Amino acid sequence: MCSTAFQTLGRAQARALGNSALPIAVIPHPFGGRSREDVRKLAEQCIDDVVKLLTGEKT
Amino acid sequence: MSEYAVDHAAAFEVADDLDAINRLYREKHWSDGLPIVPPTAARIDRMLSHSLRARHDIVANVAPGFGAATVERIAINAVMAGCDPEYLPVLIAATEAVADPEFNLQGIQATTNPVAVWLVLNGPVSRKLQVNATFNCIGQGSWANATLGRAMRLILQNIGGAQPGEMDRATHGQPGKFTFCCAENEESHPWQPLHVERGYAATDSTVTVVGAEGTMNMNTHAKYADELARVIAETMVHPPSNEYVHGGEPWFILGSEHAEIFRREGWDKARVKRELWERSKMAVKHLSAKEIDRARASRTSELGELSEDTLLPISPAAEDVQLIVAGGPGTHSVYVPCFGNSRAVTRRIEGYRD
Repeated sequence: MCSTAFQTLGRAQARALGNSALPIAVIPHPFGGRSREDVRKLAEQCIDDVVKLLTGEKT
Repeated sequence: MSEYAVDHAAAFEVADDLDAINRLYREKHWSDGLPIVPPTAARIDRMLSHSLRARHDIVANVAPGFGAATVERIAINAVMAGCDPEYLPVLIAATEAVADPEFNLQGIQATTNPVAVWLVLNGPVSRKLQVNATFNCIGQGSWANATLGRAMRLILQNIGGAQPGEMDRATHGQPGKFTFCCAENEESHPWQPLHVERGYAATDSTVTVVGAEGTMNMNTHAKYADELARVIAETMVHPPSNEYVHGGEPWFILGSEHAEIFRREGWDKARVKRELWERSKMAVKHLSAKEIDRARASRTSELGELSEDTLLPISPAAEDVQLIVAGGPGTHSVYVPCFGNSRAVTRRIEGYRD
């Protein structure tokens, strides 16, 4: 799971570690400057996808 | 027992034309942005003749790409950087050191922080190789310093896969990411040199790798240990610091004139560390609200509940403050703030041939 700015890193690292098809949950960047309220909204938007990734369910 | 790589470095043919070769390295992103010395088979063999380890012996797997750093691949990058063949054992030891989990190379390579890998050499090999420990020791002009630091960067980029903008996510980076290497001045030193402090014999040769965020010069004509410690400690205090947030390991390059002030008043290295550590404590309220949250997440288990008035030490213990003595004459010392989530690692330089 990463923000958009780190997607390239996540993808390259997955490839380097031999798992190029690794599903990665991506949230919009920037993340650090957001208010708690905004972070909560984002979390609510992506929680279902994250659960599916963790449980191996297809998104 | 050694592990050997089954996939060897690829060889390819290219016209015997330095411009064409550098165009190729530029297109492939195999350089650091400066022209390279072509790693021909003859140059690589000459470099390898200075290692006692086998050509395809894996020294380490280098994060974040976890490429296998064989002796051969280290030699190729050393040739590209312009290293003399005698430097190879230093780079083998340095590659082992950066891969030690304590160093947290994964974090250092992939972070947005500008962290560079600084090599500090100690012992007789540093003198034999003429690694500069005096005038301008972290500046330009010394072949060993310039090319060893550059080779380390090429190893991190080409074997570790940390290409800027891809797996190297540094927001700005820093000039030290081109090269950052010096020796400690053991001849003008009031205390035990770094490698002896870290458990090696004075006759051993070592390389220490440090995750250095940058350099901050401190020019002070302070004459007494107390005021010198005060102004250095006040330089350390800065709120947007990974070290205060996580509990780090700040480094110092003390000029020998400043070290002499401490020695003259009977301060040993442990005393200097303790004074700097105590005097650089910073009240939590100086941090931004977000950094207070981060410091709480990182340091509550170490320091207990953090209130606005809690005094944050820069590192968990005074012993974490690290000092070397280097540089030429002058009233300067250098503060080297560090990455925070990393600890320096020292390795003995093995197999050096006279």
